[in-house]
This record gives sequence, C-alpha cells and structure tokens, in this order.
Amino acid sequence: MSSLQVNNISKSYQLDNKELNVLNDISISLDSGDFLTILGPSGCGKSTLIRCICGMETPDSGEILIDGKPIDGIGPERLMVFQDFNQLFPWKTVEENIVFPLKLNNVSNNKVELNEIAEEFMDIVNLKQFRNAYPNQLSGGMRQRVAIARSLALNPKVLLMDEPFGALDAQTRAILQKELYQLWEKFKTTIIFITHNVQEAIILGSKIIVLGLMPATVKFETTNTIPYPRMPETKEFMSLWKELYGHLETKRF
Amino acid sequence: MTDKVNGEKNKSRLTKISFLLALFLIWEFVPVWTNSAKIIPPFHKVMVAFWTNLWHGDLLQHVAYSLQLIFTGILIGMILAFVLTALCIVSKRFNDIMDVVISIMHPLPGIALLPVVMLIVGLGAKSIIIIIVHSILWPLIVNALAGFNSIPKIQIELGKNLGMKGVKLIWLVMIPNAFPYILSGIKISWARSWRALVSAEMVFGASGMVGGLGWYIYKTRFFMDVSGMFAGLISVIIIGMLVDEFVLKSIEKNTVKKWGMSV
Amino acid sequence: MKKLLTSLLMVILVLSLFSCSSKDPDKVVIAQQFGLGYAPLTLVKELNLIEKYYPNAKIEWAQLGSGGSIREAMAAGQVDVGSMGVPPFLIAWAKGYDYKIMTALCEMPLGLQTNRPEVKSLKDISPQMKIATPSPGSIQHILLSMASEKELGDATALDRNVIAMAHPDAANALINKIEIAAHFTSPPYIFMELESEGIHQVVDAEKDAFGEAFTFLVTAGTGKFKTRNPELFEAVNTALREAIAIMENDPGSVSDIVAPTLNLDRETYLRYCNWPGVKFETEPRGMLKFLDFMNRAGYVSKTTSEQRDLMW
Repeated sequence: MSSLQVNNISKSYQLDNKELNVLNDISISLDSGDFLTILGPSGCGKSTLIRCICGMETPDSGEILIDGKPIDGIGPERLMVFQDFNQLFPWKTVEENIVFPLKLNNVSNNKVELNEIAEEFMDIVNLKQFRNAYPNQLSGGMRQRVAIARSLALNPKVLLMDEPFGALDAQTRAILQKELYQLWEKFKTTIIFITHNVQEAIILGSKIIVLGLMPATVKFETTNTIPYPRMPETKEFMSLWKELYGHLETKRF
Repeated sequence: MTDKVNGEKNKSRLTKISFLLALFLIWEFVPVWTNSAKIIPPFHKVMVAFWTNLWHGDLLQHVAYSLQLIFTGILIGMILAFVLTALCIVSKRFNDIMDVVISIMHPLPGIALLPVVMLIVGLGAKSIIIIIVHSILWPLIVNALAGFNSIPKIQIELGKNLGMKGVKLIWLVMIPNAFPYILSGIKISWARSWRALVSAEMVFGASGMVGGLGWYIYKTRFFMDVSGMFAGLISVIIIGMLVDEFVLKSIEKNTVKKWGMSV
Repeated sequence: MKKLLTSLLMVILVLSLFSCSSKDPDKVVIAQQFGLGYAPLTLVKELNLIEKYYPNAKIEWAQLGSGGSIREAMAAGQVDVGSMGVPPFLIAWAKGYDYKIMTALCEMPLGLQTNRPEVKSLKDISPQMKIATPSPGSIQHILLSMASEKELGDATALDRNVIAMAHPDAANALINKIEIAAHFTSPPYIFMELESEGIHQVVDAEKDAFGEAFTFLVTAGTGKFKTRNPELFEAVNTALREAIAIMENDPGSVSDIVAPTLNLDRETYLRYCNWPGVKFETEPRGMLKFLDFMNRAGYVSKTTSEQRDLMW
C-alpha cells in the first residue's frame, strides 16, 4: 500500500520518420489504497501510460514516484496483470504459478509457509480445487483469477491492470469485477485499472480519469463516491456514466 | 468423455498392432509362395537369426558399439548446440554469422562430408562422431533459435515484472518457453543421428576394431547372410522405435502435451 | 473399415505393377565391369561376339556399382551373367544360390603392400595398423586370411585390422601415407603401388598366401537363364571363351578397344598385359582349395570335393 505520484510525463515514438506524441504532460496523484480506473478510447496511449508506471517503458520527460521515491526500472513492487490469458507459466500448475514468484522474491523459504500463502490466495479466488491444473486446462476467466491471485500474494506497492477483463465474456467479466472489488476491500492495495468500458470504470474505481486521444492528456478527473453495490440502473450511476461518456472521445480516424 | 477417448486410443492401438501382425504374416508366407526365400527370408527365420546373433553372435557387441558412438555424438552435439545458441541469443553479430553458417551447413548431408572428415581426422570412431554431431547440431540450433524467437513478448515482460533478469530469466522463463521447439529439435536429431551413424558405418566399412550396426549390415551383405542382414536392420528399427516410443514420446507426453504447448 | 480395405487394395495394386515383367527368351542381361581382368567382357560387347553365335540375341549390358550388387542382382533374377572374384562366388554358391561358373576369366598378381618400412612380415603388423581390402569376403580379404593362417597360425588374426575401402581410395591413401598401413589389392592398383616410392610388398598372394597359381575372376550364369534358353547360354559361353583367347594370345590387336575403357595408353596397357602373373584363361584353378579354406575358417558352411559341382 503506497501512494503514487505521476508528474508531467510525456512520451513520443518514431513512426515512419514521423514523431508520434503518445503521452502529453500527464500527472496523476494517488493516495495509498486508491483504486484508480483510467478510461480512454482504444489506441489513446493508456497502455503506454501504465507500462511507463510499471517500468517496461521509460517516459521522455517527467517523473514517477512511489512513496516519494522515483521508480527504478521494472520490478515486483509494481505488478502488472495483462489482458492476455497467456500470462501464467504454462509449465507450472496453478499452485506453482503462485508459489514460484514468492520463492523467487524470497517472501519465504519455508515450504509450509509458502504453501499456506498459496492456499490462502487460491481460496480467495475460488480455485482451490484446480491447484494441480495446468493453465491450458483452465478457462480464460480462471486464468485471469490466477494472475490476480499471484500478483496479490506478492503484496505489491501498486497493482497495475491493463484491461484484464477485456477478453472475457460479459457474464464472467461481471463476476470478476465483483471479486476484484472484494479483494481490494480486503487488502486495500493501490490499484490502477485501465479500461475502455465506462460501466466497468464506474463499478470499480474510487477515482476515475478520462484520457483524451493522441496525445493522451488528462481530460477529466473525478472521485467516485457511489456506494456499493453500484448498480447501473441507479440515477447517480447513470449521470456519472453520461458525464464520463461525454468526455470520452470516440474514434477520429 | 474419457471413455470415448480411451476407446479411440484402444482402437488406434488395435489398428497398429493388427497392421504389424498382417505385415509379419505377409513377410512369412509371400517369400515362400513366390520362391524368393533366398532374397527375403521368411519372418521366423529373420527372428531366429536376430535372436541367435544377438545372444550367441556378435550382434550385441555391434549394437553396444553403435550406441556408444551415438550417445557420445548426441552429448557433444547438444553441448555445442547449447553453447552456440546461447551465443546467438547474447550477441546479435554472432547470430548473423551463425545464420550464414547454418544456411551453408544445414542442407549438407553428413555422408557428403565424410570424405573431407576422413582426410582431416582419418578413419575411425572420431570421424563417425563428427558426422553424427554435424547431422544433429544444425537442426538443434535452428529449432532452439526458432523457439527463442517465438517466445511471447508477454512471457518475458512477465518474467521481468516478477523480478527476474539475466541468467535467471533465460533459465526459468525463456528455456521453458522455447522447450517445445527444443524438444522437436531433439526428436529430429535422434532420427538424423541414427541415420547418420548407420550410413557412415556402411560407407566407411568398419572403423577398425568392432564396428557398429552399419558395419554389421555391410559385412553380412558381403557374406550373403541375408537373415543376418535383416537381423541388423531389425536391430536398427527396434532401437529407433524404443527410444522414440519410450524416451522421446514419454518426455513429450509429460511436458509439452501436458502443458498444452505445441509447436 | 471399407476405407481401410480400399486403401490397402490400392497399395497392393501399385506394388503389383512393379513386379509385372515377362522375360523375352532371346534376351540376356550381362553385368558390365571395368578393369583389366574384365577385358574379355568388353571384347564380347564391342566385337559383337554373342551375335556371331546367336544372331537374334538381345543383349542388355547392366551397369552396377560393385561386385556385391552384381551378385545381389543375379540373386534377384535381374542379371543373368556376371563376373566376380572366386570367394564372393563361393559364398553365394554355398548359400544355395542358383548359379554356377560358365568360364574362368583370368589370373592376376595380387598382394599386400605396406607403406611402413618396419613391416617386413604379417607379424610386424600392430593392432593400430589398418589394412584396407575392398570388402569383407572379397578375394583380397580371403587371401589375407590365408596368409595369416600360414604365418600367424590363425585365419582371423587380422580381421580386426581390416577395413573396407574402394581400391582407388585405398591406393591413394597408401601412397600418400594417410590412415592405412597396408592395402591388399589387385591390378592395376597393385602396379601403381609397387611403382610408388616407399611402398613394398609384404604378401605375394600366389607365393605367401595361396601357395600356387589360382584363378582371380570367374564368370557365372544363373540356372534360370540356362533353362530359359540353353542355346543363347552356350552362345554367351562360346563368345566369352573366344574373347578370353584373344586377350591371352594377342592383347595388342584389341588395344584400341580395351585400353580406352581402362583409361590407359597403349604402352601401359601392353605392359600390364605382359606383367608376370597376368593370364587370361577359361579353366578355373584353385577353386576347391579356396572352398576348403573358407569352409574351415567358417566363412562358408558348405563344401564339395568335385569342381563339377561349381561349374555348368
């Protein structure tokens, strides 16, 4: 649980000898335990933003601070959950996929203790009976659950989620949204969650940011105070939805 | 559902076994009917020759010699392939050079190299091992490199994100990800090394001393010991099949197939 | 099941296409070989000697890679007449193959040459020294076994030194002193080796191995051919004998025909023809002695005391 400061970061790519400005002077400030959802149209650069925070990419200018200290490359203090279902190690069982990173990061060297942690997190995501299954035997939703459980077990300072439910069917997606919310309630991890689904942004986020298109700038920022469970039929949900949707630029090209 | 799968498996096994049985029956009777038992001895004669040569003749010695050469060759080939592949991954320049070397060497049959190898290291076990190494090295490297190039970007990012880099990342993430390709390289290599060995020995004649199965087949040919010749062939087939069935297939079944990672 | 049966039927149909061959009785397939000893075959072909005795003959000259493959082709019925060394003939004869000798071809000087000055006799050959012969069971290999029985008391004493190598490769290796220490060979390679620097003979086949003069090559014909057309069979036999007589009595008269096939100039050709120990003949010599030795040494498991049994 940590606070996160993104100060004026910008980034451009070279594309066919043209400079493509992807992020333009973006600043975000999160307190410890915030759940930020970032909304933006497809291709607006929100993935680049979260990859910069993860350390997979470096911004051209600006700084990113965790608890006041600049981040240092990629590492397990800022864990990413991807949209791709192929984010588990196929040659490891569900349990091994959770235990392996714990061992790797010296969370514990005690086998019993490691198993207890794995047990706890498999239980939380309801996958205990699949502990010995390999990822290819699991559905997409189950795999995303394992990925979330693995990340939470490592107790990261910030959990980064790049449209993790984007490739799931609507029903599974709704269930996982609920589960993720409950996990956040329980662990109060600082989360940044990227989506282009307005409803998802409202259901999950305690803070919501809307990014503009090319280059991405923070167009709108709000705190979400709708009480749980957040039902789309309610008036306040509807009005927030309309407001966010209004800020969301749709495709221009 | 598993019942159905098992049923299909049994059916497939039954088809294979009955095909073999039919083949043996044809082999047993057709040579007698067509009066060509001298050219193709009936199946039971070949099996008797195989059995007696194995236990009372020198067939076993030849088998042991061949296996010794082949395992030496495979071991050296694998170590070399490992080192060269690692260098290719580490250095882009080395990879470029390797590209050229592979395109020169890969299509070159080992047997074609034999005269050159003989000139340099002479006759004998050394030349045969070099031919074996040549015939497996390139497919191993080509496959391993294909494996490393096809590792999903996400798996590497994930590994880094979980705190791995350098050797750890290669060993714990990249190699397992490339494993299906590496394994298929090994499967190809086994078949190729076995072929290289037998044909090299047949071209060479013996490498002095005992000689392997190729030499055995060659020798029986000149003494017109047709049953012995078939016994040699059968040994080649049996060893090839045993290793394929019980070693390679079971590795495959317990790894890539189980993990759902096919090439 | 139906699909399976249909596909099996297809396979059988395709296979049976290969075996459909009916033989014309006037046709004879003769294996062609090159080398001084095979010169009579070349004459038979170039002088059309068979046609002289059987005008309707349709002769096919088959080009095969080696003596071993000629024997195999004869066993498979693809070749009717072929020449080979005496031991290879005896090995197949003892296995019960349906063929016998029509005529002998020649005697030749054979011997074991070495490039190691320290090797004065077979006793000086160390286990590391490799001896090249064309193949196991070849006349060169059997003569080496005979010599080792005489000198070392054991016919198989040098079997572990023996490697198989084609004549030209082995001659090259011996002369350039790579890899092999000795080479048991026949003309023209034996001539080339003996005329090269630093090479001397360890075993003279006639003197040190066999003990007397012996036939080197014979020509064999299959029983099938003899039954199919006895007249043609006789014509081939007569033609061969005529050619052998020419080679023995007046090799100079056919030098224009034979020398180019051996890649020799006329002079060298004549020198080789007149080399001591080179003799073209029709009556085989030493057959039973070879057979007896090979039987004792375990190379064949059938013997006879009548040369008749080996000849048509």
